Amino acid sequence: MMELPSAMTARDHPAMDTNTRGQYGDFIFGMIARLAGWFILLVMAGIGIVLISGGWRAFSTFGPGFITSTAWNPISDHFGAATSIFGTLVTTGIALVFAVPFAFGVAFWLVEMAPPALARFIETAVQLLAAVPSIIFGMWGFFIVVPFMAHDIEPTLTHYLGHVPGIGVLFRGAPYGTGLLSGGLILAIMITPFICSVMTDVFVSIPAVLKESAFGLGATRWEVMRQVVLPWSRQAVMGGIMLGTGRALGETMAVTFVIGNSNRLGWSLFAPGNTIASLIALEFPESSAGSLKLSALLALGAILMIISFITLACSRIFLQRGTAK
Amino acid sequence: MNNITMDRTTGADSTVPALAIRNLDFWYGSNHALKGVSLDFPTRQVTGMIGPSGCGKSTLLRILNRMYDLYPGQRATGEVMFDGCNILAPGLDVNVLRSRIGMVFQKPTPFPMSIYDNIAFGVRLHERLSRTDMDQRVESVLRRVALWNEVKDRLNASAAALSGGQQQRLCIARTIATRPEVILLDEPTSALDPISTARIEELLDELKQEFSIAIVTHNLQQAARCADRVAFFYMGTLVEVDTADKMFTAPQAKRTQDYITGRFG
Repeated sequence: MMELPSAMTARDHPAMDTNTRGQYGDFIFGMIARLAGWFILLVMAGIGIVLISGGWRAFSTFGPGFITSTAWNPISDHFGAATSIFGTLVTTGIALVFAVPFAFGVAFWLVEMAPPALARFIETAVQLLAAVPSIIFGMWGFFIVVPFMAHDIEPTLTHYLGHVPGIGVLFRGAPYGTGLLSGGLILAIMITPFICSVMTDVFVSIPAVLKESAFGLGATRWEVMRQVVLPWSRQAVMGGIMLGTGRALGETMAVTFVIGNSNRLGWSLFAPGNTIASLIALEFPESSAGSLKLSALLALGAILMIISFITLACSRIFLQRGTAK
Repeated sequence: MNNITMDRTTGADSTVPALAIRNLDFWYGSNHALKGVSLDFPTRQVTGMIGPSGCGKSTLLRILNRMYDLYPGQRATGEVMFDGCNILAPGLDVNVLRSRIGMVFQKPTPFPMSIYDNIAFGVRLHERLSRTDMDQRVESVLRRVALWNEVKDRLNASAAALSGGQQQRLCIARTIATRPEVILLDEPTSALDPISTARIEELLDELKQEFSIAIVTHNLQQAARCADRVAFFYMGTLVEVDTADKMFTAPQAKRTQDYITGRFG
């Protein structure tokens, strides 16, 4: 009969000891991961609660009219969100109109056509562009883009497009330089690197044989891109565009420099305007605690978040429908 | 004739080879991958290309439809005559060339679209067909590759849902849908199970009634079964080319004999 050790405890047995410690570590790691996950929800909920409760006074004072009113008068305490919502959507729209084809062109050229050494260099440059702080874009926009728009682009656009029925109204008005178009263009430059790097990554990841098969049938580069590469990468490309959209919606500093910051709503793209983010940035320091104005700004913040959520949701729905098909 | 056109003029005279390679050299950058290769691909026959990995057989295939054009640093010298013109000539319309010399790859590569569109894709690049004509074209090529009965009820379903063997037959259907004269196959069955492989081999036998076929294979039995003529490559040179019977029973070169008896490779 074998004799068993009289007191077999974890302390006597190194192997067992390690095992126990391993389980303990696993438990701690699991808890940290779990907490991190829940913390995200907590932060989201916290932001939502602060914005909605803070903006509640504005919402209850003006009712649904808050969203449709173009007023912004701190003296008479009349506030509305329509102008800044309009400005936000228009500048983001302009940014996408320019940034998506531009980013696509850069990505396509980098992946399909550029000599590899040059492509690597340009790719790095694109990533650097993404790292430029927005305040730099703001100053550059104010000193370079705005005068250029005022002296060259806007008068030219008025001359050629100002009388075209339908869209002409967009290109009329005094060429201030600061305005929705300038804001949109700065945003376009700022979001292009994001969209472009996502597109480059996904275009590179496409199996070479898939492209070669299409080339093998006699397709041109463009036909391969449009009919094989883009459908294959649709999801990621949409994701990249949404990433850019999110950034354009919330971008503050650069836009504030070039948009003119005027609470006006009109069809002219040259006219100064504002966005939700630029309005909050400018007015927040001048709002006293507990004032209706501060509440209106918080309400604007809540609206911006809702717009971002809707954008995200739309992209999800769009992508799902695309995949199911 | 200076440039290649869509007019199908080859094949009328079966004594003229579909493709004739003369003194072909090929470089991947500074790597000399093919050295002085001269080889004919007879019209409406299957020409098999065998040899150990890296011997240049797949490289040769990729020259025949100018696929190497896509990559900088790859270049070919020599002459490849097809329908009276040298396909290596600069300025040749590669898109027309590729519609007349189709290619099937090692792994099935269905496009991310429906079964129907996978076939219509290539056709639409070169021809304007009415809906009825296109339907007919799709049906006829699917019947030729014996896929019609398996997919006729789900032509609009994604091609990705097909099995590997079905996908490869779809890829062959897609290639013949543009009505090429030559089909290049790069180890078309190496990713397939034995039953799918057998079906593809049967298909090749039938397709050679109409097309000239060049097939690269690692499978010597497959070369023996399918090919009329077999070319053996070793380290970038063409060692020997003869009828399949002679190659596998009485090869001339020592290297060929060593390879087919499994002494190396």
